[in-house]
Amino acid sequence: MTRARLQAVGLSKTFGVTHALKDVSVDIGANEVVGLIGENGAGKSTLMRILAGVQQPTSGELRSDGERLQLLSPLDAATSGIGMVFQEQSLLLNISVAENIVLGHERAFLRNGFIDWRRLHAEARAQLAKVGLTIDPSTRTADLSFSARQMVELAKALALEDRIARDLVILLDEPTSVLESADIEVLFARVRALKQRASFVFVSHRLDEVLAISDRVYVMRDGRVVASMAAADTTVSELHHLMVGRELHAEYYHESSQQPPSSEVVLEADALSAAGHYSDVSFSLRRGEVLGVAGVVGSGREELVRTLFGFLPQTSGTLRINGEHVRFQSPAAAVERGVGYVPRERRLEGLVMYLSIAANLTLANLGSILWYGLISRKREAVLADHWIRTLSVRAAGADALCLSLSGGNQQKVVLAKWLVAGSRILILDHPTRGLDVGAKADVYRLVRELGREGVAVILAADTLEELIGMSHRIIVMRDGGVTARIDAPAGAKPAQIELIGHMV
Amino acid sequence: MTRISPILSVSTARASAPGLFLAVLVAGICLRVPEFASARSFLAVLSDAAPLALLAAGLTFVILIGAIDLSVQSVASLSSVIAALLVPRFGPIGFLAAIAGGLAAGLFSGLTYVTLRVPSFIATLASSGVVTGVALYISNAATVTIDERSRVYFDWINGSILGVPGYIIVTAAILAICAIVQNYTPFGRYSLAIGSGEAAAWAAGVRVGRQKVYALVVSGLLAAIVGVILAGRQLSGSPTLANELLLPSIAAVLVGGTAITGGVGGIGRTLIGALIVSVLRIGMTFLGINIFAQQIVFGAFLILAVGLTIDPEKLPFVK
Repeated sequence: MTRARLQAVGLSKTFGVTHALKDVSVDIGANEVVGLIGENGAGKSTLMRILAGVQQPTSGELRSDGERLQLLSPLDAATSGIGMVFQEQSLLLNISVAENIVLGHERAFLRNGFIDWRRLHAEARAQLAKVGLTIDPSTRTADLSFSARQMVELAKALALEDRIARDLVILLDEPTSVLESADIEVLFARVRALKQRASFVFVSHRLDEVLAISDRVYVMRDGRVVASMAAADTTVSELHHLMVGRELHAEYYHESSQQPPSSEVVLEADALSAAGHYSDVSFSLRRGEVLGVAGVVGSGREELVRTLFGFLPQTSGTLRINGEHVRFQSPAAAVERGVGYVPRERRLEGLVMYLSIAANLTLANLGSILWYGLISRKREAVLADHWIRTLSVRAAGADALCLSLSGGNQQKVVLAKWLVAGSRILILDHPTRGLDVGAKADVYRLVRELGREGVAVILAADTLEELIGMSHRIIVMRDGGVTARIDAPAGAKPAQIELIGHMV
Repeated sequence: MTRISPILSVSTARASAPGLFLAVLVAGICLRVPEFASARSFLAVLSDAAPLALLAAGLTFVILIGAIDLSVQSVASLSSVIAALLVPRFGPIGFLAAIAGGLAAGLFSGLTYVTLRVPSFIATLASSGVVTGVALYISNAATVTIDERSRVYFDWINGSILGVPGYIIVTAAILAICAIVQNYTPFGRYSLAIGSGEAAAWAAGVRVGRQKVYALVVSGLLAAIVGVILAGRQLSGSPTLANELLLPSIAAVLVGGTAITGGVGGIGRTLIGALIVSVLRIGMTFLGINIFAQQIVFGAFLILAVGLTIDPEKLPFVK
């Protein structure tokens, strides 16, 4: 290998008590496409953000062509020829495509202190041509489709090459997760064409794509790099094995304690629809059952899950809970009916981070600790201590702020909140996102215990493996409709490929 | 766990700083002007702080949920006019009418804020205009004096028990109730939750809109009580009576250590804040600082207090 264009040496990054990166070293050679894979929470995104100057490492350093490189902001990174295509798109929707592409570099288009729009649009058009887009650069960004925006994002990163004399490093953080296969082909063709002038770091969940486009692959797990190999020397199954870090065995998901659910239906959806998101979705959920919902982004899965908790009321169809018709206008209405929700955005929707554990535990059911209409601090403390012990939450005490907890312990508090509220139906929306392996195992165990106690669960999982491992039955969604219903009883779990066929 | 303790000690320091500052301020003024350390000036401070603390207490509930109420001074003025007009004619029922005016103004602001999703500073600024208009209209834009024989109705404000004026006792009682509401009722708890994590509170089934309306109604209620008390003390009502009280009462909340971003703070802190503001106001007079320069000191103080209480970790961008 030639000298490294960009090099990470012994990077570590901590957030409070979480160790997101542990001694990570990565080399990105000139004109090389480096694949970076790992499960959610493995540290890929943190590494990318450090390479892009968005975050700074707690220890360790970056080097460029052997020289130490300090990136304190995305602007520093851009000056060093490093551009990033973000997973969550970073374009501003309220301004034009052209303005987005030159954002932060308008100075180059000034004439007598005013912006020379003709020159700016010409520049934007040139950048868009690089990614094969022929749209009018004055189009408002919000009017573009999601995949077109992703290509604009790439064009914005590529615009760097005209401003920087040296070779670029382009960081692609899951750029294909929302693209159609035709767009992916365009993207890959661009990456191959630009390789003489740039290095790429490519992050994706889709291992076959990583192998197709990369020269070398790094595998991350629990904040560490666990393997690095030439793409030509490895296979999808080997990568998968390295990424997950263990043999696929049933007991990880406590399959033996997956008991057949009772016949009592607790929740029933009949021709449920939310205009513009999904339509005609029917299913039933039984006491003690885990019902998995599979589907890619845009399949309507996310919206369906949010309907069940009152974030997005259905526009037609019926929803029944214990036989009674309901139409949740707000989460409060769902909570009253005994539904609980464990969100994917734990820090945003799961917990009030600046309140204590005790206050979060009782937030959904303050009524249980009232004494003549006033909050009894004593009852609250007793309740909180009980749940902290029962779920072995590691915390300084019931008064500790949720902010001070690790992700896994935060998730236990979220679950305990719904147990305090007496929820009999739990909506788990990516409940293990961002958790390490041990914390995931705790969540799986808890879900099994809840099932034994008769709590019914709707699960939208981070990985198909998790979804299949945990669910009794799975409904698969595509383009807003249900495309398959698959049984997943203990001992006879379906293969991932069976689901994928109905998802895409 | 080692990283946690410094964060906690910083927030503990933040919480106790206003109290320390008050002590230092009082000590400092006493050193320069020994006469300040007297029962008379102590009472002067309390008299000045009482209406401020009540207005600020109402504002505290609103600021805790992450909103703001810019109409408290207008509501207090309107309430003084209603009391001055109606109490002489109908007796104590007039007080109820004044209070009802405050509740209605709070409800109006709250519903505008929540149902029309107008930002609270605009919603309350607009209702402040409406309320002032009503006060000007019903008073014919003039001061309404309370005649001699009706003054008996205001004895609970102007009389005194063991040398303590009635309005200070009333204020203390109301503040105590506010502290209980804030610390021990679901409304108080929900306010904190909404202020520091509205999305999480919403997702926990808290009826966020309702709590926001409650907060503005409480603020309107307390502003109306302030109006009644001021009317009693001045024996008149006026549509501009409380106009100068908005800035000092917001200052009292923030100087006391309640964060303008919501979620952190409480009534106890606001009481300290109101005392700091009043000690500053009276103390500056004792020190012989020009009355106009006092406004400059206030403005600077407010900026300093907000700057110090905002936690940059919680609020990366300020709009």
